[in-house]
Amino acid sequence: MMISLRWLIQTLVAFGTNAYLLFPFGSVIYQGPLKAVCHPGLNCYSCPAALLSCPVGAVQNFAASLRFAGAGGMPHLGAMVIGYLGFIGTLVGRLPCGWICPFGFIQDLLHKVPTRKFFLWPPLRFVKYAVLVVLVLLLPVLLVDSVGLGQPWFCKLLCPAGTLEGALPLIFLKPALWATLGFYFWNKITILVLIIILAIFISRPFCRMLCPLGAFYSLFTRMTLVQLEFIEGNCVNCESCVRYCPTGVTPYKDPNSRECIMCLRCLDACQFRALTFGIRRPLPEAEKHAAGPF
Amino acid sequence: MPRKALWLIILFTLLFILGINTGDLEYLLNLGNTICLSCIGVG
Repeated sequence: MMISLRWLIQTLVAFGTNAYLLFPFGSVIYQGPLKAVCHPGLNCYSCPAALLSCPVGAVQNFAASLRFAGAGGMPHLGAMVIGYLGFIGTLVGRLPCGWICPFGFIQDLLHKVPTRKFFLWPPLRFVKYAVLVVLVLLLPVLLVDSVGLGQPWFCKLLCPAGTLEGALPLIFLKPALWATLGFYFWNKITILVLIIILAIFISRPFCRMLCPLGAFYSLFTRMTLVQLEFIEGNCVNCESCVRYCPTGVTPYKDPNSRECIMCLRCLDACQFRALTFGIRRPLPEAEKHAAGPF
Repeated sequence: MPRKALWLIILFTLLFILGINTGDLEYLLNLGNTICLSCIGVG
C-alpha cells in the first residue's frame, strides 16, 4: 500500500516538476517565475523541462558570488535557500529523498532491473558530508577568479543529475555546445555511467554516498517533526524491515538513523506493527538523559 | 515537537524572510533563467 503510494507520488512529482514541454519551440529552458522556487529534491534547473530551480545549484551559486558581491556592496547570502531547506529538514528530515527527489526516483527504477543485489560498504556514507562541505560550501567561496567569482564545483565535477537531465538533452538541442565540451563533460559522463551501473546492483548509491542535499537533510533526522517509531513489544526479530530497507538501516535498532529516507518500506514489511510513523512525541524524562545529541 | 526543532523552525523562517528581503528571490530567478554551463561540463 505505502509502496504504491510512494511510486505514485514519485512519478507525479518527477513529471509535474519537469512539465515544460515547449522547449523545442522557444527558449531552450523554462524561464518563468517558478524558477524562483527551489525543488526540495535534486533536479537540475538546466533540464529543458524543469520548472523549478535546483537547491544545491542555488546554494553553490550564492556561495560562488559572495566575494564578488561583497566587494561591491551587500552580498546575496543565500539565506532564502538555506532557510527553505532547513525548514523542510526540520519538519520532515530526509523524507523528500524518499518521496519526491527525481534523481532518487531514477535510481529506484534502475534498481528494479532483475540482477543479483549487493550491499554498500557502510563507511562510504560519510563521503556525502565531505561533498557538502568541500564541493558545495568551501570551494565555491575559496577558489575564485580575478574578479572574485567562484564556480559551482559540485555541478562542475560531480552532479550526475545535471549530466542526465541538463547536459545530455541540451547538447542535442543545441549542437553548437559540442565544440565547447572538454574534460569536465567527459568526467561527468563517466561518473553518471558509474552511478547508473551501481544503482542497478546497489540500492540508491548516489543518495547514500555522494548527495550533498541528503547530507544536509540528514543533519535534522534526530529532531524532525515526524518520525519512525519502534515498538519493542511487537517485534519478533524477523528482520524483515532490515531486508526491505533501501538504505541499509536497521529500523529496530535505530529508527531515526541519518540514512533513513522515510520511504516507509519497513512499515509495509513489518507484519507485527512493530514500526509506526507519525508526529514525534517528547521523550519521557528518564530517556532524555540517555538520548544522544540531536 | 522537541524544543530544539521549534527554535530551528523559527530560525529558518527568519532566514527565509531575510533572504526574500535582501534580493535572493530575484537572484535565484535570474540564475534559473540561464543555462548552467557547469552542469553541462563546459569549461
